[in-house]
Amino acid sequence: MSEDLAFWAGYITNGKHLTWYASFQFTVYAALLGGALAVVFGLTGATLKNSRFVGFRLIGSTYSSIVRGVPDVLFFLFFPLAFEQGVEWLVSTQVCSVESIAAQTAPWPPCREANWFLGTTEYLLLASVSLGLVYGAFATNVIHGAMRAVPAGQLEAARAYGMSAAQVLWRVHIRQMWVYALPGLSNVWMLIVKATSLLSLLQIADIVLWADRLGAPNFLPTVGLVHDDWRWRYYLVLFVFYILVTWLSERAFEALMRRTGRGILSEVPA
Amino acid sequence: MDGFFNDLAIMAPAVAFNIYFAAASIPLGFVMAVFLALGKASPNPLINALSRGYIYAFRGSPLFIQFFMFYSLALSLNLTVWKPLGISGFVLHPLFVGPLVLVLNTAAYTAEIFYGALRAVPRGAIEAARAYGMSRTQQFRRVVWPNLIRLAWPAYTNEVVFLFHATAIVYFALPVVGPQADLMITAKTLFERDYNAFLHFSVAAIYFLLVSLVVFFLFGLIYQRLMRHLPAQPGLRFAPKWLR
Repeated sequence: MSEDLAFWAGYITNGKHLTWYASFQFTVYAALLGGALAVVFGLTGATLKNSRFVGFRLIGSTYSSIVRGVPDVLFFLFFPLAFEQGVEWLVSTQVCSVESIAAQTAPWPPCREANWFLGTTEYLLLASVSLGLVYGAFATNVIHGAMRAVPAGQLEAARAYGMSAAQVLWRVHIRQMWVYALPGLSNVWMLIVKATSLLSLLQIADIVLWADRLGAPNFLPTVGLVHDDWRWRYYLVLFVFYILVTWLSERAFEALMRRTGRGILSEVPA
Repeated sequence: MDGFFNDLAIMAPAVAFNIYFAAASIPLGFVMAVFLALGKASPNPLINALSRGYIYAFRGSPLFIQFFMFYSLALSLNLTVWKPLGISGFVLHPLFVGPLVLVLNTAAYTAEIFYGALRAVPRGAIEAARAYGMSRTQQFRRVVWPNLIRLAWPAYTNEVVFLFHATAIVYFALPVVGPQADLMITAKTLFERDYNAFLHFSVAAIYFLLVSLVVFFLFGLIYQRLMRHLPAQPGLRFAPKWLR
């Protein structure tokens, strides 16, 4: 019994497993940075959508409807690739000579010097930005709705105090908007958390990739078959992990809601 | 421009796989969701806890993980269960596993929508039905269900479109069998050939947008039919009205 326990304690703390545990940081970073960027893009989009200038308004509504109209995976894959190619094209206009372009056999980049190698950090940043862009479109809708839910009397009062349009927007409108936006933003946050499972599609060695590697049938020439296909057990762990994260986020948003709703909402929904 | 039309032609058969995954999972998911929603509203503590737990688990975890989990579970049962029964080629086929996981997933999301609608059914309508002496089944069929589906339909339409969008990740988690590639895999292989991200992914996006619009249109027609007891909204005018 104790021998078994010692074996399992050793098994789940071997080097590969420790790397797996460490890779949870990528998921957390992507979720936090993606969430923060989604709020930023959402605020920008909602302000554009609220603008009195037709051009801005069109940009805001096109952004939110187009990005919400295509699958998140598509945009999640497309944005980092497109950004990488854009940078490589920009670099290629500076560093490529006619000879090096002629010497290039692959269809991309234009010449070998313009190649931009992306490591995990770069991909993680790009993944966070594209999470922010995708879910910023959802947040745009949420925040746009919340801004319209702010009682008109509050804005009129602010104007009566002699505030300029910008002051009304920043000091009253956006500050009072959060209470109405929080339930919707909580939904967007849940979507972001679930979308972090896609990081492995961008060649980041994240929790999903490691679960696959660790669970795959393990055969050593000296020992024979160490274990057969254990992948579903590792995926079950991830399944439970994500449910736990969802549960924690729900509790956190409830507490936040109770705090921000003080004095504004007479009754906080449970 | 030539490449654009080429891509449109190449991806036309690919979109059929996405439509198949969505169409195969929507009816079953719908039926399962009705039972789950009733279970979540049920006074029986066991049924209630089970449906609540199911809905929470499947809404709280990513579809991507669910795909991996169920597929690897099916794989590990292959030697002991599917092989002896001689159905391993069928059970492990992505065209079977894909809709299976999508059904499990969409049932949870749809059940939550139906549960919300169930709670929003006017209390007075149910009381009136009871006062008429209707049995529980009659109450459900004649009063609760028509109210529920009308309340839930707009949200359900959104869920169907999201399900269609979710079919984009099926083949990132499941093996691609021969030429059976969906939109995303086709776009990705085309991209890996000539590195033209803007063209291939845009064409895939156009297909997704088009099918989503068709879904919105069809479900809008059904919604109009469901709401036919209400006075119709005045239609758009295309010419100014000179005289009143």
